[in-house]
Amino acid sequence: MHLKLTRRSFAGLLGLTPFLSTARAEESWADIEAKARGQTVYFNAWAGSPQVNAYIAWVADELNTRYGIALTHVKLTDTAEAVRRVRDEVRAGKDGSADLIWINGENFHVMKEEQLLFGPFTEDLPNFALVDIDGKPTTRVDFAEGTEGLESPWGMAQLTFFADGAKLDTPPMSMMELLDLAKEEPGRIIYPAPPDFHGNTFIKQALAETIEDRTLLPVSIDKAIFTEASKPLFEYLDQLHPSLWREGKQFPQSQAQVTQMLADGELLMGLTFNPNEPANLVMAGTLPDTTIAWQNRDGSIGNTHFVAIPINSTSTAAAQVTANFLLSPEAQARKADLKLWGDPTVLDMDKLNPSQRALFNHAKVAGSVKKPARTIPEPHGSWVPLLEAAWLERYGA
Amino acid sequence: MNRLGAAPLALLWALPLLLSLAMLLPAASDGAAWHMALAHPQLWPALALSLATGAVSTLIALAISLLLIGGLSRSAMWNRLQAVAATGLAIPHLAFAIGFGFLIMPSGLIARLFVGGDAPPYWVSVQDPWGVALTLALALKEVPFLLTAGFAVLSRGDAAARLRAEARTAASLGHAPGSAFLRVVLPPLMKELRWPLVIVFVYGATVVDMALVLGPTQPPTLAVVIWHALNNAEPMTNGMGLVMTLLLTGALAIVLAAVALLKRAGRNATHRMLTAGPSLLQRPRATALVIGLAVTAMLALALLVLVLLSLAPRWPYPALLPAAVDASAWMAVSPAPLWLSLLLALAATAVAVASTVLWFETQDRNRDRWVIGLALVALALPQLASAGGQYRLLLPLGLTGTLFGLFLAHLTPVAAYVLIVLAGPYRAFDGRYIAAARALAASQLSAWARVKLPLLKAPLLIAAAIGFAVSIAQFVPAQLIAAGRFSTLPMEAVTLASGGNRPLTAAFALALTVPPLVAFLAAALLGRPRWR
Repeated sequence: MHLKLTRRSFAGLLGLTPFLSTARAEESWADIEAKARGQTVYFNAWAGSPQVNAYIAWVADELNTRYGIALTHVKLTDTAEAVRRVRDEVRAGKDGSADLIWINGENFHVMKEEQLLFGPFTEDLPNFALVDIDGKPTTRVDFAEGTEGLESPWGMAQLTFFADGAKLDTPPMSMMELLDLAKEEPGRIIYPAPPDFHGNTFIKQALAETIEDRTLLPVSIDKAIFTEASKPLFEYLDQLHPSLWREGKQFPQSQAQVTQMLADGELLMGLTFNPNEPANLVMAGTLPDTTIAWQNRDGSIGNTHFVAIPINSTSTAAAQVTANFLLSPEAQARKADLKLWGDPTVLDMDKLNPSQRALFNHAKVAGSVKKPARTIPEPHGSWVPLLEAAWLERYGA
Repeated sequence: MNRLGAAPLALLWALPLLLSLAMLLPAASDGAAWHMALAHPQLWPALALSLATGAVSTLIALAISLLLIGGLSRSAMWNRLQAVAATGLAIPHLAFAIGFGFLIMPSGLIARLFVGGDAPPYWVSVQDPWGVALTLALALKEVPFLLTAGFAVLSRGDAAARLRAEARTAASLGHAPGSAFLRVVLPPLMKELRWPLVIVFVYGATVVDMALVLGPTQPPTLAVVIWHALNNAEPMTNGMGLVMTLLLTGALAIVLAAVALLKRAGRNATHRMLTAGPSLLQRPRATALVIGLAVTAMLALALLVLVLLSLAPRWPYPALLPAAVDASAWMAVSPAPLWLSLLLALAATAVAVASTVLWFETQDRNRDRWVIGLALVALALPQLASAGGQYRLLLPLGLTGTLFGLFLAHLTPVAAYVLIVLAGPYRAFDGRYIAAARALAASQLSAWARVKLPLLKAPLLIAAAIGFAVSIAQFVPAQLIAAGRFSTLPMEAVTLASGGNRPLTAAFALALTVPPLVAFLAAALLGRPRWR
């Protein structure tokens, strides 16, 4: 094995190739589009939803007819799988099997940290000009980490609760009201166990609503500060848990399981990161049309999901064209359509022309969030491992 | 000849497997990963839970299987039992867990039938902290496997004739049928069930998908903790998962070694029991019939519930039937990946059976322990770990994203199962048949093809069917090696199931049941002895 390339030497090699480094800076968008024609994009994306899969199939058709790009959806159960695959490939000095990855949060941090990503490319995409970078700052900050042009925003997410309005007429609009409801209806509310993504978000929401000094949330913290600052959070959880499902001693494994238990009638409310998921589930017949959805009065945790290009992709041009197409008003509007997926757009309506804006006029349907609340950005990444460890220590065994 | 005979199994299976495992060593020897693993608050309780669910479910499954074999073999129910076992074996573990879960959970069918009311009762019937639901489901699901392994022994031509003769001798010595079974059939049966039992235990203690549906969460079983750790994007957390894997594998080895020692220590007592005078013990026909019907009913109900769940987007408590039926989940089951799955399963099974038989024919039986040990390690390790090693091995060779790489990924577990299931019956073959054939001037090859092969037809077919079923269910290694260039039926199924949509999961689970079901029924039908 003489050709053993480390990550750094691989990256260095790319930098040394004069053709690649200078050409990239001067490459016009037309050049990129021309180069993209005939390339294949292996889009590695979580595939647990038939709606999402159908949307990606539509994208594949459009890219083929408009740009001559062949897009294949590589269906994943967990994005970390693609991260590990790219890491192994780069270590072995091999071309990439993935050209585009649906990504955010920890997976992005790891890839950025380990220099596994191509770019920066995002802000050179023509459609990036339409992104609502001021109103939706999380389109450039992923879990308090700057994206630095290494991932292109795709859709928005915000913690949203939902329930059957026929069984719950006044939803709890804050974590304190949730505690009162749990005490009134013991055993009918639960959240998934961290480190499940939705479980973590529930804890973060409780943290944001109980912490005394909110300025600590966006900054890097250490264990000592964490222990002090999280005291009210754990006091809250200690109070809440005895009134939860199974007295807070067992927790479901996933958000999907919570949703299923709500649909079966075992639980009173569910939670999701896609504000339009409840409406989508009503449409699919999983939830009744009396379903209501809400976000906590003073705001709820929200973030953005992105697409990124691995550093060893052999179709970077086509991957960029794909990322740009995903940002087009047409693709974004189709994605936001409740009947098709219902993933909220990252675009700024004020930056669109009237006909583009009209694409987004989807009627409100049963299960839509009535009064959207403001977004509370994700706490700094340093909070997450500390929260997970402290939760596991207290409630894990 | 000897070396050449070992070559297919060694080159296609053992060597790649050993090298894949070696790829994992650097990460597992990291001190920080060990520190992280040992400091994990769930490590010890989760390990205890894994060992307990694995051991108890194995014992229950063994007790039920022996009762059924003892009570129903050579009765009119025997053939029907084979069909039930074939069906039960074909249901994927996850599918059974979902169906079984929907029977017993608070909003499940039993509560709807017998409790009712507006809201489900506060039962702790699934995800109970003691792992009872998981243990019961595992035990029920493994009964068909042990029964099938038992059939492989009892319907083997040479053994069946010998056992019948010995049972007649026992009867003439005054043993009632039950007494004769205990003394004549049970000892050789248990000896050949040894490796299948080890598989059942190892599987039960390391299973992830069933534990996610039915098992406790605070703490979960260690396999679930490991699964979360290996699924993480961070190399350090992956390392912790590998260390925990080593700990779990080590604990399993210790338990198995302890059982072997206990068995040796109890040899005298067993001997006394076996040589004690005749007793009037009858075959437990009535009990076996009741238990057999109960097991059949549970399997059938679980399947029925799966069919209903696949058609019901919404089925709220306390309705006894879904309000509306909707076949949209079935529309998502596309046939294209099925063909690739079938092709891979046939290829992997054929190569696995051929190379295993070649091994048995050319190698000394003392060498079996090495390949069987390796097979057990391959099956005990979490697939996320071994698949990672395999990926790192095949990547520099340029085999990822190729059909041959995908074939190797399927062959690893298939050959492991075939080896373990076939070792007992194949090695127990009565060599005098071959000696007789050779004495009648048959060539070595024709003695093998015309005498041994027909007599070993049943175990060979059953091993092939099990290999086929294992191949059809392969997900983790296949997904990684395919790198998105190929798609098989389980890849479609598991990725869709990750969204937790119950109708879709149920529909795919049922679709995954059909090919192995055909294989098992064919094996049961073709494997019946021509003489009776």
